Amino acid sequence: MAAVTNYDVYSQTGQLRRPLVWSLGLHLGFAGFVILYAVFVNGVRGTGWGGGGTGDAMGATLVSAVPLPASPTDATNVVATESKGLAKSEPAVPPKEPDAIPIPDKDVKTKLKPAPVKTATLRNKPQPEQPETNQIPYGEGGPVSGPYTMNAGGAHGGFGFTGNGGDFGERFAWYVQAVQRKVSENWLKYQVDPRVSDAKRVYITFDIARDGHPSNVEIEQSSGVPSLDISATRALQGIDTFGPLPAEYSGSKVSVEFWFDYKR
Amino acid sequence: MKHATAGMKRWSSLTVALGAILFFGACAKKVAPPAPTPPPSPTAPTASLSANPNTVDAGQPTTLTWQTTNATDVSIDGIGPVDASGTRQVTPTDSTTYHLIAKGAGGTQDATARVTVNAAATPPPVTTSNATEEELFSQNVKDIFFDYDKYDVRAADQGSLRADAAFLQQHANIHITIEGHCDERGSTEYNLALGTSRADAVKNALIQAGISGDRIKTVTMGKEKPFCTESNESCWQQNRRGHFVYER
Amino acid sequence: MNNSARRVLQRISFVALLCLLTATASAQDWIRTGTGLGVERVRLAAADFKPSNADPGNTALLKTFNDVLWNDLDNAGIFDIVSKSFYPLQEPGQPSEIIFSAWNSPPPNTSMLAFGNLAVAAGKVTVQGWLYDVKNEKSPQVLGKQYTDNATDNAVRVIAHRFADEIIFRLGGGVAGIAESKIYFVSDRGGHKEIWMMDYDGANQQQLTHLGSISLSPRISPDGSRLAFSSLVKNSWEILMYSFDLNRLVSFPRFGGTNLSPSWSPDGKIALSSARNGYPNIFVLEGSGGNWRRLTNDQGPDIAPTWNRKTGSQIAYVSGRTGLPQIYTMESDGTNVQRVTDQGYAVSPNWSPNGQFLTFSWMRKYGPGEPGSNDLYLMDIASKQWVQLTHDAGRNDFPCWSPDGRHIVFQSHRSGTDQIWSMLADGSNVKQLTFKGGNSQPNWSWK
Repeated sequence: MAAVTNYDVYSQTGQLRRPLVWSLGLHLGFAGFVILYAVFVNGVRGTGWGGGGTGDAMGATLVSAVPLPASPTDATNVVATESKGLAKSEPAVPPKEPDAIPIPDKDVKTKLKPAPVKTATLRNKPQPEQPETNQIPYGEGGPVSGPYTMNAGGAHGGFGFTGNGGDFGERFAWYVQAVQRKVSENWLKYQVDPRVSDAKRVYITFDIARDGHPSNVEIEQSSGVPSLDISATRALQGIDTFGPLPAEYSGSKVSVEFWFDYKR
Repeated sequence: MKHATAGMKRWSSLTVALGAILFFGACAKKVAPPAPTPPPSPTAPTASLSANPNTVDAGQPTTLTWQTTNATDVSIDGIGPVDASGTRQVTPTDSTTYHLIAKGAGGTQDATARVTVNAAATPPPVTTSNATEEELFSQNVKDIFFDYDKYDVRAADQGSLRADAAFLQQHANIHITIEGHCDERGSTEYNLALGTSRADAVKNALIQAGISGDRIKTVTMGKEKPFCTESNESCWQQNRRGHFVYER
Repeated sequence: MNNSARRVLQRISFVALLCLLTATASAQDWIRTGTGLGVERVRLAAADFKPSNADPGNTALLKTFNDVLWNDLDNAGIFDIVSKSFYPLQEPGQPSEIIFSAWNSPPPNTSMLAFGNLAVAAGKVTVQGWLYDVKNEKSPQVLGKQYTDNATDNAVRVIAHRFADEIIFRLGGGVAGIAESKIYFVSDRGGHKEIWMMDYDGANQQQLTHLGSISLSPRISPDGSRLAFSSLVKNSWEILMYSFDLNRLVSFPRFGGTNLSPSWSPDGKIALSSARNGYPNIFVLEGSGGNWRRLTNDQGPDIAPTWNRKTGSQIAYVSGRTGLPQIYTMESDGTNVQRVTDQGYAVSPNWSPNGQFLTFSWMRKYGPGEPGSNDLYLMDIASKQWVQLTHDAGRNDFPCWSPDGRHIVFQSHRSGTDQIWSMLADGSNVKQLTFKGGNSQPNWSWK
């Protein structure tokens, strides 16, 4: 509003009183309601999904209690901002800075044709990249430390619904992390068409049985890039087991929605 | 008068000529028919006998050599009738004097040769001959050497191979084992396999040279039993070999 | 007044409705997560276990336990172990003693915490151990275990191995840990090359054979009950069999000639190199010693077969058919021979448990005047891409995969004598396991 000089404010005080009172009242009422809701329904910590390896999507703040679902973001936008996962469409969630250093993008990558991959059943560890001599520079590659397939940054934490009995992620965050790690390790990004540099997320759903074996792998939402979809599906198919479901969990299976952010 | 002198000269030269002829002819005739000598008496035979060597170790042979003349009947004690001249190999067990008798129309002649038999400096039980054989073996049978990572017999080693085959031919009772060796470089397992190939290559070459295969065994030693341990090419070459081992 | 009241009511009810809706939204057991969420290694802190009673025997056993547990977790290859210098001074021995904020924030800033206690009483030792997710205060327990055994050093060592394996199994995505696995190897420390065995970390080294000859190439069967090896018997190399059920050699047919480098398939067949047909070739026979089948048919020498442990239908081996030894693969019936290395001197292939990789020893520059050294390499079979694992570290040979596919044990001359070393499959974390005599040809158990 226009700048009002002091005497103007004083002179207008009376006109402002009623709306001011209503405004205050509503704000207080609303705030009170939110606090009550947060405390009694969701607990102080909010819902944890093990995202980011630190469960950091769940700050014990008022804001986290806003139960807006994580809408599938336009991954391009998110990635393009290079921000550490601050999803623009979800201002409600200030992510805690992940303590670990983001996985450095190994710059050794060269454009690889996916054609040389002979077998569809390639499992497990991501492959070393291929300079002409077929050799990987010392220190790069190797199957154990795996995660040079990761984006820098990338989209941030999923969180989902909680409700009656649906608190798997909260109780067994460590298992969720293990699933995350295993799928990410198994994702062979070089299988994606090398002309693609950015893509929307592909969402894959699957079930995990009690013995840890994944099944019912389906594409819930395509990224629009077929080779990306296929590479994501293969990542799941190449996994024998995530390890048995925790003994304390009483369900017979767990369903997982897993998204893949691709950026070359 | 003249006619008479010429005629007298002719008659006197003729006479002289006739007389000379007669004279010389008579001399010749005198010489031509020799007076018959009285028939000669028969020549005595000669004989010689020698032994070579005339000192031997027990069990070793020696060769007797003899020559006779004017003999119709020649014999040597202990042997019997022999030719007028000849040689014979004998193996006396003790020191012996060989006695040759040559009889002929002119008489008898004999000759002797003495052979001294040494009591063996080393008593000869059965094994001694093997020990000697083994020494001979190690002196004469040379190992075959190979190039790096190869198991074919080199041209340079063909001579050794032939000599080894010849020795084995001469000593047909000898059995051998061929060990295949490698130098220290490279992998234990691969070197065992390479050693097998080396030993077999040598065995096959010997078989080609006429040695019977059932006299030859092969075994690989890989790099497990080196002959030297320095890390240089000359030692490595020493270790890359097919090694012959004498078997009883 | 009515209007504003109505508006207020509308606003309140709108907000209330929104909250209600989300509160009762569908409650399946769903996990939603994705890539790019920081898939680095799990940060794990392993606090020293504390004594839970005052028995003087605790001290020595605790030291063994803590050392072994730390070593197992550090070696696992999947953790980012937090150094002990960052731990808070007060270390918990019971769940009630944990102060979460001391652990889940810097300096330790760990995700997982292993802790517990140990006590000796009446000749028995009891160990209680927990694994806590300290970022999840609401529901932190991942593992809680109790072990009891005789109060000996070795029993405590085994308990530590078991507990470490539990942790690794849970956090490593269902792949069993290797803390209880064994390594079989050749040692000449007694004057002759005999077969020995030891724990995966180099402890408990013990001699198995006393043959007084040369015994090489030990390979353990998939079920761990029999060990096949090759030994010089009189003048031939035979395959001998050691039984762990009976703790002695058991009979196995003698074939004469040169029989080397036995290797087990997942279903109990044996592939080996034999010169019975004149040249060393690869043969397959039943685990009982019968039913020979010939697979290669060349002058070779062919040696060192290794089976694809995942499928049992492929064999990799070494052949000198082109001169220097190279690595080949073929189907287990001998067909489809493919050459894997293109140059140099390549020997000792070993197939990874997931069927995807070969590791082998390779000297890429080879020949007179080319110094090169035998280094260990890792190759993806499908794409033939390779990675060099050791660098400028002397002669390395006989690599063998661990059952979890994360480690490789091998023989190296880098310390001046042949010794056995282990490392992670990316070449890091190299550790020496043997120190006495000359030790070679390690073979890792299958579980």
